[in-house]
Amino acid sequence: MKNIVLGAILTVSVSFASGVKPVDNQLYKKECASCHFGFQPGLLPARSWVKLMNNLENHFGDDASLDKNDKKLLVDYLVKNSSDRAMNYKRSRKITSSIFGNSTPIRITKTPYFIRKHDELRVGMVKQKEVGSISNCIACHTTANKGIYSERAINIPNYGRWE
Amino acid sequence: MKIIIATILPLSLFAASFNAPMQKYIDELKVQAKNSDSSFVDFSVKRGEKIFTSVHVGKRGKKISCASCHSLNLKANGKNIHTNKVLKPLAPSVNSARLTVVKDTKKWLRRNFKDVYVRAGTAKEKGDVLYFINSK
Ligand code: HEC
Ligand code: HEC
Ligand code: HEC
Repeated sequence: MKNIVLGAILTVSVSFASGVKPVDNQLYKKECASCHFGFQPGLLPARSWVKLMNNLENHFGDDASLDKNDKKLLVDYLVKNSSDRAMNYKRSRKITSSIFGNSTPIRITKTPYFIRKHDELRVGMVKQKEVGSISNCIACHTTANKGIYSERAINIPNYGRWE
Repeated sequence: MKIIIATILPLSLFAASFNAPMQKYIDELKVQAKNSDSSFVDFSVKRGEKIFTSVHVGKRGKKISCASCHSLNLKANGKNIHTNKVLKPLAPSVNSARLTVVKDTKKWLRRNFKDVYVRAGTAKEKGDVLYFINSK
């Protein structure tokens, strides 16, 4: 009996996962969270990650290039956990379905879902030195490193809670 | 009196030594530096300091130095000016993980020289700046 109940709970928690899957790869933490917050793979579809990883020499104005082996390991990790393969997570599903099939954004912040969710922010909230860029998720989403972006956990520096 | 000064000086300049793999990398850089300039003797903390603190028009067309991200006080936290992320201190005396893994050190020197100098660093420049960082 115990086993059956446990099985049921497990399934339920997986199919209703609310955020995105937290980063669970040491190499990713080391290489992709050194310059900025470590964006979860579940925030972009596989084709976006592949495109981004194929141009690390010119990565948003920076050189983020890696040796061949590390690059391959990271592409594998990103693709395996990409938003279109993590559709049981609510945010991953919403991001995936908001992107037009013929487009391949390499910025999370350029996906339609993201833009819609952030259209109430005022310029001063983003441009202030404590945040600097809309890509700096962790500056406002206090639990971003757990993959949780819910309204309850938003605290914008010098403006306070969002609710 | 002279003798005392002579012994103190080298001690303070080379307070911390590199681990074995890093020393091997330094030795490789020395060979390369010597190959391109036969008068080369050893790397210099003083030249390294200049490389680290001098301001240049960087890859993004804006004035930048190594200290822009790592701070002029290498024992303090820095801040990546492109992303706002806090950087742990570069000085090995307060952050013992620094300059211990050759692969990582090489990777960041390659990237960071491009950011600031818009080219790769020469063997001499890399050795000089590593001596400077290691003296902190
Ligand atoms: C050398 C520094 C550096 C490294 C290393 C680095 N990045 Fe970046 N990354 C940047 C910069 C700079 C930006 C632009 C940030 C901004 O616009 O505020 C950026 C932006 C991004 C964005 C877009 C964020 C948005 O606006 O939606 C993604 C996705 C990204 N990086 C993924 C990665 C991945 C994956 C890795 C590891 C392979 C990585 N980065 C490693 C510097 C780096
Ligand atoms: C300047 C502060 C700020 C930054 C930086 C920021 N966000 Fe947000 N985010 C907000 C606010 C405010 C909302 C709106 C909440 C609402 O009204 O539903 C929001 C909403 C969201 C939502 C939807 C939450 C919900 O409950 O519907 C997600 C997902 C999200 N952000 C992800 C991100 C990611 C990923 C990044 C970084 C690439 C990021 N945010 C950067 C402030 C920020
Ligand atoms: C745009 C910001 C930026 C600039 C400018 C910059 N760095 Fe860095 N540097 C970083 C980041 C990010 C890291 C990796 C994160 C970390 O280790 O804290 C790093 C790491 C390093 C490391 C660490 C290697 C190790 O063994 O731990 C060294 C050495 C270094 N930088 C030297 C330099 C030198 C020399 C310059 C100037 C030529 C320079 N940096 C300019 C951002 C910068």
